[in-house]
Amino acid sequence: MSAAALPAAETSPANASRGILLMLLLPGLIALVITFLLPLIWLLRASFASSTMGALSGGDWTVQSYSTVLFDPFYWRVAWNTLVLGFNVAIFAVILSYPIALFLARTESRFRGVLTALAVAPLLTSSVVRTYGWMVILGDRGVINSTLQSLSLTGGVIRLTNNSLGATVALIEILMPYAILAMLSGFGRLNTQLEEAAAMLGANRLRVFTRIILPLSAPGVLTAALLVFVLAISSFVTPRLMGGGRVFVLGTEVFNEATVTLNWPLAAALSVMLLILFSSIILLYQRALRALET
Amino acid sequence: MADHHVVIDNLVKTYPGAQKPSVDHVSFSLPRGEMLALLGPSGCGKTTILRMIAGLIAPTSGAIRLEGKDVSSIAVYKRNMGMVFQAYALFPHMTVAQNISFGLEMRKVGRAEREERVRKALDLVKLTGLGDRKVSQLSGGQQQRAAIARSLVIEPELLLLDEPLSNLDAKLRDEMRDEIRDIQARTGVTAIFVTHDQDEALSMADRLAVMSAGRLEQVGTPREIFDRPQTEFVASFIGAGTFFEGQVAEPGLAVVEGLKSLRFVGEAPVGSTVKLMIRPHRLVLADSAGQPNSFTGTVEHIVYRGQILTLNIRCGGRLLQADLPTHAGVLPEKGDEVTLAVAAQDVTLVGQVAP
Repeated sequence: MSAAALPAAETSPANASRGILLMLLLPGLIALVITFLLPLIWLLRASFASSTMGALSGGDWTVQSYSTVLFDPFYWRVAWNTLVLGFNVAIFAVILSYPIALFLARTESRFRGVLTALAVAPLLTSSVVRTYGWMVILGDRGVINSTLQSLSLTGGVIRLTNNSLGATVALIEILMPYAILAMLSGFGRLNTQLEEAAAMLGANRLRVFTRIILPLSAPGVLTAALLVFVLAISSFVTPRLMGGGRVFVLGTEVFNEATVTLNWPLAAALSVMLLILFSSIILLYQRALRALET
Repeated sequence: MADHHVVIDNLVKTYPGAQKPSVDHVSFSLPRGEMLALLGPSGCGKTTILRMIAGLIAPTSGAIRLEGKDVSSIAVYKRNMGMVFQAYALFPHMTVAQNISFGLEMRKVGRAEREERVRKALDLVKLTGLGDRKVSQLSGGQQQRAAIARSLVIEPELLLLDEPLSNLDAKLRDEMRDEIRDIQARTGVTAIFVTHDQDEALSMADRLAVMSAGRLEQVGTPREIFDRPQTEFVASFIGAGTFFEGQVAEPGLAVVEGLKSLRFVGEAPVGSTVKLMIRPHRLVLADSAGQPNSFTGTVEHIVYRGQILTLNIRCGGRLLQADLPTHAGVLPEKGDEVTLAVAAQDVTLVGQVAP
């Protein structure tokens, strides 16, 4: 009797805890299915629908939107623009944020908390507001142009907005706080004692940086670059406002097709393209990260 | 003194904004090939001294001389000293061999020689064949060995160790204690280590420098420190003992209140008040109460510890601690009246009380 009861008693706690685990996961899973998975399926379905102005026609399946996207050179250029914008923003945001993040990670100042808060404080204002700020600075009659002209340093107006330069500059500044945060969380392996050990072994400041700090901070840099890249290629407000309708990226095109042209299937197909772009970049990132950590 | 390999001369470190210096005019020296322990409670400034010698922090004043040359203004990466950090500080993104090789690379040693020296260093610390391991794949003891190999492979002028055994469990600690001593003896490197553990200091070092609150209390061999502590701090920090205060009645004789007079060794002017100390294991059972330097009292507490018996004896209003060997014939029991005696040279003068 007791011998028979024993195995059951042994397995039941494990089963029970697995049951509890599933129960605890359930609310989150349901929320994810409703808010993420279902819309995604709906998006996929919509991308295969035939385009009727302002509506999704019901039952028929067609690859019409995809053939439009794939065979129209305009969309290839848009995809290329998006990639270039993403790379430029990611590279410059990371380069500009790296010294700040490194300082914040290494400092022993008692103002460290305040400084970190200041570095990410721009996140408290909406990116729309900050984009308008950049329009004031970079615009044709903005701070830079009017200063240069009143000093008679330039004859005409230097075009800083309504092109991809303006969009890139604004996006870099807007996404820098994310880069700093991502780097700070990725600098866990940095440790002043390792730098001291390297110095004791004969490494000068430059060698300490190239041989110790840089390799140990690489995962954080990579994470920051990925985050900024993803945010940049999915951005819509900043390229739209700073580009003045002359900068075409996937984000702005999705918006155009969905709200202006009212071609929802095409908007859906473009979104799927953007998703595929995301996924491939994330796959590459994980490969790189694994290579860095082994 | 002056021709010693390492000379620390009036070293002072005052951190900005601090009221008192963390290290206050500390001087000691060390002959080539010896091992010195900087011993003291936490916060006494011993690690600060080690870091100043290493060049990781700059002294406020004073000199650090190697072979008579002041190195205190030489940059840390040019000092050619090896350091074993408390948490080892092995580079996590490199293999064990790459860690050990790092210092040689910085010295632009050729690849073939580097590999040879890394292999020898691994042999020295008994990590033969583990060079390709990742640091995270090593046990705590192995990491310690790797850290020692890394600091020795550059053939440093001086080896510095910061609490080298504090991160190891008790069994490994004993093993590494002998191991470090052995490696140091075989390589002949002059070494300084920091510790708060008196056993570690007494058993590993040729010389001890005992510190308290930024000041050097005493420097000496383990025997000198243990048997002839010169200050009350040293006497109480290292080993156990019973302290007495007495008036010097004649040279080498003090009158202790509630006791008979005590004969002691040491210079103290007649009429002054002195502090005396007796180690528990220096007390022996005496036959009669008539002997000089004897105490008669009641056993208040007994702890049997195998080889020794620790007694607390109430004697003239004070508690006296005595360790008796358990093979010493008939052992006293609780409540017994016993007489203990001590030789005059085992009554140590540890300080004078200002009148």
